[in-house]
Amino acid sequence: MRVGAAILDLVRADGTARIFIVGTGKNVGKTVTMRAVYEAACDAGLRVGLMSIGRDGEAVDVSDATPKPRLRFRPGTVIATARNVLPRFPALEMLGLSSLATAAGTIVYARVAQSAFYELVGPPTASGVREAAAVLSEHTDLTIVDGAVDRLAAVAGGGDDSSIVVASGAAAGGTVREAVDGVRALVERLRIERFDPAAEAVRIDGALTPAMAARLIAQHEQRQIVVRDPTQIALTGKAASHAFSRLRLRCERPLRVVAATVASISQQHSFEPRELARAVVDATGLPTFDVYVGERAR
Amino acid sequence: MKTHGLLDASGAGALEFAWLIDATAPVSEYGAHIFAGLQPYRPGEESFAHARAHRIASTAAHLDTPKLDALRDVMRNMPDANGAIALASMGESLGDVAFLELQRFCDAVVRVDALTAGVAGIEPVANVATRNVARELERGRTGKFAFYLSDAFDPSLQTARTRLAAATAEFDAVRGRAVEAIARQLGRDDISGEEFIVMRTDLPATLPLGVRVLREAATYVLCALEFDEATQAALQRRDAAADAVAAAEEAVRVHLSGIVRSHAAGLDAAATALGELDVLVAAARFTSSYGCTVARIVAEPTLAFTSGRFLPLARELETQGRTFTPIDVTLHDVAVLTGPNMGGKSVCLRTCGFIALCAAFGLPVPATTAQSGLFDEIGWLGIGSDAERPGGLLSSFAKEVVRLRELLERATGRLFVLVDEFARTTTPHEGKALIVALLEVLRDRGACGLIATHLAGVANAAGVRHFAVRGLRGISQAPPTGDLQAALTALAASMDYTIALVSDDGAARSDALALAALLGLDAGLIASAYEHLK
Repeated sequence: MRVGAAILDLVRADGTARIFIVGTGKNVGKTVTMRAVYEAACDAGLRVGLMSIGRDGEAVDVSDATPKPRLRFRPGTVIATARNVLPRFPALEMLGLSSLATAAGTIVYARVAQSAFYELVGPPTASGVREAAAVLSEHTDLTIVDGAVDRLAAVAGGGDDSSIVVASGAAAGGTVREAVDGVRALVERLRIERFDPAAEAVRIDGALTPAMAARLIAQHEQRQIVVRDPTQIALTGKAASHAFSRLRLRCERPLRVVAATVASISQQHSFEPRELARAVVDATGLPTFDVYVGERAR
Repeated sequence: MKTHGLLDASGAGALEFAWLIDATAPVSEYGAHIFAGLQPYRPGEESFAHARAHRIASTAAHLDTPKLDALRDVMRNMPDANGAIALASMGESLGDVAFLELQRFCDAVVRVDALTAGVAGIEPVANVATRNVARELERGRTGKFAFYLSDAFDPSLQTARTRLAAATAEFDAVRGRAVEAIARQLGRDDISGEEFIVMRTDLPATLPLGVRVLREAATYVLCALEFDEATQAALQRRDAAADAVAAAEEAVRVHLSGIVRSHAAGLDAAATALGELDVLVAAARFTSSYGCTVARIVAEPTLAFTSGRFLPLARELETQGRTFTPIDVTLHDVAVLTGPNMGGKSVCLRTCGFIALCAAFGLPVPATTAQSGLFDEIGWLGIGSDAERPGGLLSSFAKEVVRLRELLERATGRLFVLVDEFARTTTPHEGKALIVALLEVLRDRGACGLIATHLAGVANAAGVRHFAVRGLRGISQAPPTGDLQAALTALAASMDYTIALVSDDGAARSDALALAALLGLDAGLIASAYEHLK
């Protein structure tokens, strides 16, 4: 099957025009997923915009020297990236400037004129990501944002116009169980429901921290615990799972998680691909795709 | 905008210099550069200070608020092309982002000139350099605001790109057919990415040609695609065509960069002119927003104004739905100011200082009419200065004395001095003696200024003029609720904050007991205090 097309179908069925691809860690296949969805969107005739929350497309990861997937974009694609990573050749159509600063210069907006490899460097702040994504949306039918789990705050600004695809993989855990626990906690966090305005609630101003959650659990709090959006739940792993099982966590602005992808291979170790994919389906209930095998888990 | 010794930190704080900076700050990088270099005018530069204020007021008069705001919008969104101009002037071949910046810079120049056309005293910013560079870059304009190194720049660019497009199409077709064939043999719809996994259950007896095994596991094989000879040959042709396009594009960039280099001086001049205009427009916006007027800048060390306002406080009161009472002051030497508590003595001092400060920077001042000399220093001593900070080994009085000593030692030039209740924490007898002596010293030095005090008889003893806040026009009853805000509102309604020159130099009225009553102090205590006054 064409995994990118299948994910794109889910996104379009959701009626959104922006996809955030967030991962449970580094090297879990975010960029490979983005590339697959991007190719499918281009094949479908959509005008696509691309940006990263971080840095993508370089041949080697500048932080740990591991090889990274390259990004080859087709003519017509609009990108938001730092001016100092734009290639000299081929020339791009320069659409706009911004004051969003990164270590590689300010963010600029450009339309690809000729197929080539490009690097994406994103703004360092959540508000910057939202601003850049909004500009891309002005020029395109679909915007894809390659994200990172520690930059979740940027996702919250996507609102009702954004879908989220969660990428997970062998690089995020020493065992299948560890990797799956990570993606379960992340998906649970991202998918918390909208609060019930008719029911009693405790509103949390800002982030729900582990200390707050522990206190509420100790108090046997039965009311809804309401945060602004799922990114305000500052809990991960077992602490998150524990809090989800004991507290009625709700939010004002829910997010839409439409699919998960798995990458069963990593530099350090590999998992059995279908076992991992099935475990992610069982843990999250999401349509789950293996972008390397090219199939949907059953 | 820096004080350059006109104010020390205490004076800057008391007169809200930071507020003035915010209120007059330009919006562009070009303006910020010029604004950072602004200095106060010194004695002897009266004509320059007056000319600048006049130009600002004239701009404010000729450009209405929507036009001023439109100009600021253009300049706020204008990219900083200084870097591109500098790089080109040093022989660098510019990148396409730099060309977009230069194009937008030239666009901004045109828009700014359109908005200021016909305004007296404002010359067009556009020059030969901006027009020539704009004309060259116009060939790269796409849409309204975008730039592309288009084929229009050079016919060889078009030829090279056409060849590259053909070579790319050939490579994609050859590569596509190879990948499609491999995918078919593996029973997959497609293969995306450099690496892919084939499950052993789907593995044919032999791997298709062009597939390399990277890793084998019990249930799967991790593979990568290899290029066959035909694909490699197509890739080489594509790379060669790409190199030709790269060379053609670079040639255009070098040509355009040369044009920018040859016009660097003119572009710099336009950037400077834009920066100056930005600073002018910001000051004009300040002038029209706050109803400022051009002060007559005189050679003598004097300050006089009618309906003067201390703008930072006026703005703050406005946000609370209250109004600032403008005041009139005429100073041609040092004088004494007395008045009741909460009567606005400190505000009067700050108003004088703020107006002198605006005049020093060649800004129109917040008054109906004004006349000001220029000073080497505006000295502030007293409430609101760092002499008031608690802690340390020095008492409040000792800190004041140290500050006064420093001020007198430092201020060798023309001094405008504002002293707020100096020596109020020592005995009235000695405090008065000190203030009288200070007035004599300041008068001997030819200083101008105002010394606020509650002590009686100072003006007569020093032989200086005496101003007084008119004060309470009968005080209302304390609000029954004990509400402080209500008390302040009642006080404001009862207080006449205007300043008058008085001849009576007897015991200064402080209205302290009436105020204490209004602010809710125990009625019995107040009554007892009145008894002690008798």
